[in-house]
Amino acid sequence: MAHESTDAARTLTFEIFRFNPEQPEVEPHLQSFELDETPYMTLFLALNRIREEQDPSLQFDFACRSAVCGSCGMLVNGRPRLACNTLTRDLPDVIRLHPLPAFQLIGDLSVDTGVWFREMHRRVESWVHERAPFDPEAPEERMDDELAQAIYEGERCIECGCCVAGCGVANVNPRFVGAAGMNRIARFMTDPRDARSDEDWFDVVSTEDGVFGCVGLMACHDVCPKGLPLLEVYAYLRRRMLGAGLSRGGSNELLQIEAA
Amino acid sequence: MSASPYDDRVPRDLPDLTARPAVPSARSEALRQLFYELVSGVSGGALALFMWGHMLFVASILTGERGFDWLAEGLEKVYVAQPTVFAIALLFLVQAVMASRKIPAQLHERRKMREIAAQLKQKPSLPANALRLKPHLESMLWLWQVRTGMVILVLGSFHMVLVGIDVLTPLFGERTGIEASSSMARVGAGLWLLYALLLVCVEFHASVGLYRLAVKWGVGSRLSRGTLLTLERVIFVSFLGLGLFTLVVLAGWIDPPLALLLESSP
Repeated sequence: MAHESTDAARTLTFEIFRFNPEQPEVEPHLQSFELDETPYMTLFLALNRIREEQDPSLQFDFACRSAVCGSCGMLVNGRPRLACNTLTRDLPDVIRLHPLPAFQLIGDLSVDTGVWFREMHRRVESWVHERAPFDPEAPEERMDDELAQAIYEGERCIECGCCVAGCGVANVNPRFVGAAGMNRIARFMTDPRDARSDEDWFDVVSTEDGVFGCVGLMACHDVCPKGLPLLEVYAYLRRRMLGAGLSRGGSNELLQIEAA
Repeated sequence: MSASPYDDRVPRDLPDLTARPAVPSARSEALRQLFYELVSGVSGGALALFMWGHMLFVASILTGERGFDWLAEGLEKVYVAQPTVFAIALLFLVQAVMASRKIPAQLHERRKMREIAAQLKQKPSLPANALRLKPHLESMLWLWQVRTGMVILVLGSFHMVLVGIDVLTPLFGERTGIEASSSMARVGAGLWLLYALLLVCVEFHASVGLYRLAVKWGVGSRLSRGTLLTLERVIFVSFLGLGLFTLVVLAGWIDPPLALLLESSP
């Protein structure tokens, strides 16, 4: 149902959220811009043209233009997407742009995803916890190709924040790790180089801010611009946590909680 | 004159905060969360499965009053029906408490979740000039699960009290136990309205709940989400259809269509 870009060129109306926290006297509002559509125009191109031709004060983020850096996440007609890989021809004549919710607003369409992700990484300790001190002389440990692919799949997250912005729970509970956090946890859980056992993970993951905070709206999976299998990650973590809770006398403790 | 508890000049015995840890250990808290999650999933799943069996029992009215009474009496004679009422009532309360722990307490939080669900459109690319598209499916299903859950809590409690009185006392009908005649009289007199609403809510709540449970634990992960959703809809529509038909017969608006099955036997 995409519009043929070769057909009569459309005039697009952009309704863009405007607010600058440094000018609080100007209320948040939607500002309209009109732009003629060009072939293969992305939202990133359109926003740059608006800034160059119509309003130099418009704030939005971008860096790579190719869905790698994760800077240009925004709400496009209510849906979290990347501006750089969204073609205007796939959108209606009226395109409404808002900044991603759940993150701190910098201005207009620009949000600070960094603070949220830094806090998440700090809590998840999302780095390899080595078993032994690093030995630069030793040959690298071998890894099964399938496993390496699985870990790589988890590493494909670009931290654009779309899954967080689309998550009902993350919008209500700022401490919830969200799909990006769970994906990160699963990535290190599957990594044999990481020294953390399921018991170590259990205290962090089997919580209301962790995997059991999720109510299962599945929006994260549907909006992920990289197509990460976030629902699989979620189910995998739940099963791992069940295993960790039941193992090593955990089942006895569970019964004690039941009795209490 | 006794000392006011708000008078801080009066020395009081303060609790010894060092006697035991002020906060539970992270591990026991994590175990608790896992336990809650299991109880909520298991009680919900068990109730959904029970509702299927329940539907088949009630549908015995399709064979006429004799069939219904025969089944009810049979289950009461061997003392299956009586403890089941208590067990299901308990499970019902446990599920209500456990499932509601995921519902945000504050109205503005619930409104926020509704807004997110409503603005997240199902198919972002579709019609050219419309910003009005269907909201995100699973988000809306969850919101409706919360709403139907509230309705079930009220109407289901009412129903269970009614059935409890039926099973344990001779208050309704001629004997102690569930009887087709008194049930039909009740439903026909106007309770059909409540039961129709309860039926829609229960069938929706149960089928969506099972679907979400399957996705959450990765059960049937070999099936695609689309297949699971289709399965959910087939279950919903079949049980709703059977339920509505049963309700119409219970209300006495049409004759039991399968009554001839029992008439042929001497």
